[in-house]
Amino acid sequence: MNLASLLSKERINLELKPGKKEGVIKDLVYSIKKGADAELIVSTLLKREELGSTGIGKGIAIPHCRSLAVDKLEISVGRTMKPLNFNAIDKKPVFLIFLIIAPPQDPGNQYLITLGKIVQIVKEITKKNLIQKPQTPEEFITLINKIEKEIGKRK
Amino acid sequence: MSDIIEMHLKLLFDLDNLLDDMDEPKYKEIGFKIEDDERLTLLRKRNDLLKKLPKEIADVYERLKKRYRQAIAPVENGFCFGCFQQLPTELLTRSKQIITCPNCGRILYWRKK
Repeated sequence: MNLASLLSKERINLELKPGKKEGVIKDLVYSIKKGADAELIVSTLLKREELGSTGIGKGIAIPHCRSLAVDKLEISVGRTMKPLNFNAIDKKPVFLIFLIIAPPQDPGNQYLITLGKIVQIVKEITKKNLIQKPQTPEEFITLINKIEKEIGKRK
Repeated sequence: MSDIIEMHLKLLFDLDNLLDDMDEPKYKEIGFKIEDDERLTLLRKRNDLLKKLPKEIADVYERLKKRYRQAIAPVENGFCFGCFQQLPTELLTRSKQIITCPNCGRILYWRKK
């Protein structure tokens, strides 16, 4: 599965309002769902965060969960220029957030495969110091596509 | 199904999926590590949520979870997405607290559009 094909420019916010973790998660969820479904997703995501931050280090966080509220894998991306406290595992601030919601029924466990792929791609983005580079959602998708292809070639 | 029961059931189901994912080797491979005591905290929250449900619904949920792992199945285009059988159209008119699939017994959930 191609990650870039799962992204939509409407759900990429490169000027995310800095704020508390909960508020940032809500903002990203609301770009996917509204109303009671959004509340359910936020509640599950925050419970997941209580278990340990999904801030995986190096400025990146990947909040994720499965939810009955969605019928396909949904991704929302946020980037902030100002440091965001996400209680990341390396205690460093977060600048890029990939939020992933997957449906409960998931043949072939695509959710975990995609989650693994995102981790791989974003680690490459930080290694190359490219988090702040894209200026538009289109440029962001192009960057993800490029990195994904580069990783693919190495295999 | 009342809104509050539906909300509790959906949250319970989503938490159970979270617990199941955490046990997947792939999840740990990716690098998401959950400490045992944190897992226990989530289990306690799960059980608190279960207690908020009417006993008969909680019992049905637990029985179905044991049997199928996923106790709730979404309905898509008139099909139960647990057993992929077509559902009878009169199902929605039943005035039960929860609606279950006549074929597999899973609790059915109609997504809001």
